[in-house]
Amino acid sequence: MMNNGKPAITVRELTKNFDSFTAVNAIDFDVYHGEIFGFLGPNGSGKTTTIRMMLGLVEPSSGTIDVLGTRVNQGVGDIRPRLGYMSQRFSLYNDLSVLQNLQFYGKAYGLNKEAMEQRIGEALEMSGLVGRENTQTKELSGGWRQRLALSAAILHRPEVLFLDEPTAGVDPVSRRAFWDLLYKFVAEGITVFVTTHYMDEAEHCHRLAFIQRGMIIAYGSPEQIKHEKMQGQVLEISPSDSIKSIKVLREAQQEDRLQVEEIELYGSLVHIIAVDLEEKKLLVKEILGQADIDIEQMTIIEPSLEDVFIASMRD
Amino acid sequence: MLRRILALVKKEFIHLRNDWWMPAFMLFGGALELLAVGWATSRPMTNLPLMVWDQDKSAASRAIVVSLENTGTFTLEDQVSDMDTIEYALDRGKITAAIIIPPDYSEEMASHNGSPSLAVILNGAESIPAREALRAIEGVTRSIGEKIVIERLGLDPDTFAGFDFSLRVWFNEALSEALYSTPAELGLMLEFTVLLFAALSFSRERELGTLEQLLVMPFSSLEIMIGKAIPVIIVGFLDFVLMLGMIHFAFDVPVRGSLTLLMILAFGYLFVELGKGMVISVISKTQHQAFLIVMLIGMSDFMFTGYAAPVEGMPQAIQFIANAVPAYHWLAIVRGILLKGSGLDVLWPNVLALGIIGIVIGTFSWRFVRRNLD
Repeated sequence: MMNNGKPAITVRELTKNFDSFTAVNAIDFDVYHGEIFGFLGPNGSGKTTTIRMMLGLVEPSSGTIDVLGTRVNQGVGDIRPRLGYMSQRFSLYNDLSVLQNLQFYGKAYGLNKEAMEQRIGEALEMSGLVGRENTQTKELSGGWRQRLALSAAILHRPEVLFLDEPTAGVDPVSRRAFWDLLYKFVAEGITVFVTTHYMDEAEHCHRLAFIQRGMIIAYGSPEQIKHEKMQGQVLEISPSDSIKSIKVLREAQQEDRLQVEEIELYGSLVHIIAVDLEEKKLLVKEILGQADIDIEQMTIIEPSLEDVFIASMRD
Repeated sequence: MLRRILALVKKEFIHLRNDWWMPAFMLFGGALELLAVGWATSRPMTNLPLMVWDQDKSAASRAIVVSLENTGTFTLEDQVSDMDTIEYALDRGKITAAIIIPPDYSEEMASHNGSPSLAVILNGAESIPAREALRAIEGVTRSIGEKIVIERLGLDPDTFAGFDFSLRVWFNEALSEALYSTPAELGLMLEFTVLLFAALSFSRERELGTLEQLLVMPFSSLEIMIGKAIPVIIVGFLDFVLMLGMIHFAFDVPVRGSLTLLMILAFGYLFVELGKGMVISVISKTQHQAFLIVMLIGMSDFMFTGYAAPVEGMPQAIQFIANAVPAYHWLAIVRGILLKGSGLDVLWPNVLALGIIGIVIGTFSWRFVRRNLD
């Protein structure tokens, strides 16, 4: 594995314009060998455009992308055998059987007969599809398909694996199993570049970039990002009526009676982000008390990335 | 490279096997269409329903009805005695023709200077049977007319002969519609089949989302194009052989020229249509769109081939455009080799034109598809 301290992927000043619309606006980031790099952002933020540019499927308007030491728009053909890709949409052939799909991938990447047999065996094992080799792929449920697509994408043991929203629409248990597989690959030295809009998945990444409206607004490890981006703490309140609580608290915030950064609904809980929360605890209690809302619990907690991103998206 | 292409070809054939109606349509759709067209056009039109209102009811009036029946063109649907019934039947398309024999028919026939007449009503909404009916009625009335003239001049009908001509039809002795229509239909069905199959090649993968995956794999655009082209050519050629066998054995369409030459030119023609299909394929985002574009192109090509109406009778501008339509030349080649037994010495302008169009389309297609895949 090539690892001389240089990043596996270097992106500089990458820009993509579609007519008058700038989908990706001068972004920079590095992905290091052997890490899971998360590329986060809401729908339409430029994630897919970026990953497609990195794979040479879309020409950048300006800027450079180097993958494994090769400039993508000049010689992506040479490094394709060393890359793996699993697209946002299901990337296997629905009417081919599990085995036929894997064989097609194997031949496309030029695996010899022995390697093919061995890798396909491993892939079946990994995706839990041993004994279902001859099932048509369309008959598999979402989670199985995703795992099969992943097994196919790494059949040729790529050095860098690109995953575009791999877990979109997959149930939580399958998502968990999927991430376990990713960790396994990384342990084997594969570099993973993954886009997602699931905030909880961001916590699983070694490092990440958060893209919004084509610009990177946060970049680093989850801890770094929390530290840098989060001015303040999070107060988690469990009120009797969370919707009403949000309403009265926001009113108080607008009338300047309550000086806090953010008031957000978090499931049935309410999160308040502010500096010096200890001092504001009493005030919050009072405001909610006046509105006849009982507080079951109120604690200062460690902010999640979701809190951080919601806070930074408001900026 | 070869192994990767073979992997692609194998994959395409697995698609074909799993999606059974597609190859069934490719291979047998054309043959079935030909069978239908052949049957419909192979025999002259017979048994057209005829309605008669005989107001004369004489031996002479019955004789003309029998003569009409004897042509084989007509079947007597009914003898009626009012106009309403005829109108009713015509409105509902129940009859092709109606004949009204006036009450003085036999009188006028017998009189020395009488002028017998006949009223004929044709169902012009269906022009082809109507024309056929007119031809038969004209034939019968002409011979009756001749007979009257001969009789009135007091000549001997056995020794007197009027104007006659001797007819010899070349290339299609029996003037069989099937001999004309089935080779033309074969040419067109081959175009449709190949165009559609090629047009679906990339649009299908784009619609399903697998095209991107194919593009990030280590296939070069050349490999992808070859891998996609091989199944189209194989299936297209099989289709051609099947259809040719069908019209030859089922409708006695002769192969008077060189079968080898026809096969070679068919092979070349497949590549021209393949080139068109591939361009449609990369500009279409869905299979649906590709299908509609194929229909549009196929239908307009159909007009230029001269199958429906002779190109020679069209305005100059259209005739000029027809020369740029590959199917126009292809149909000329098919008819030339099958019916006329023509060789390259006669067909070279069409072959040359097809070659030039092929090179233009091929080059454009190759560049265009490659640019879209890269």
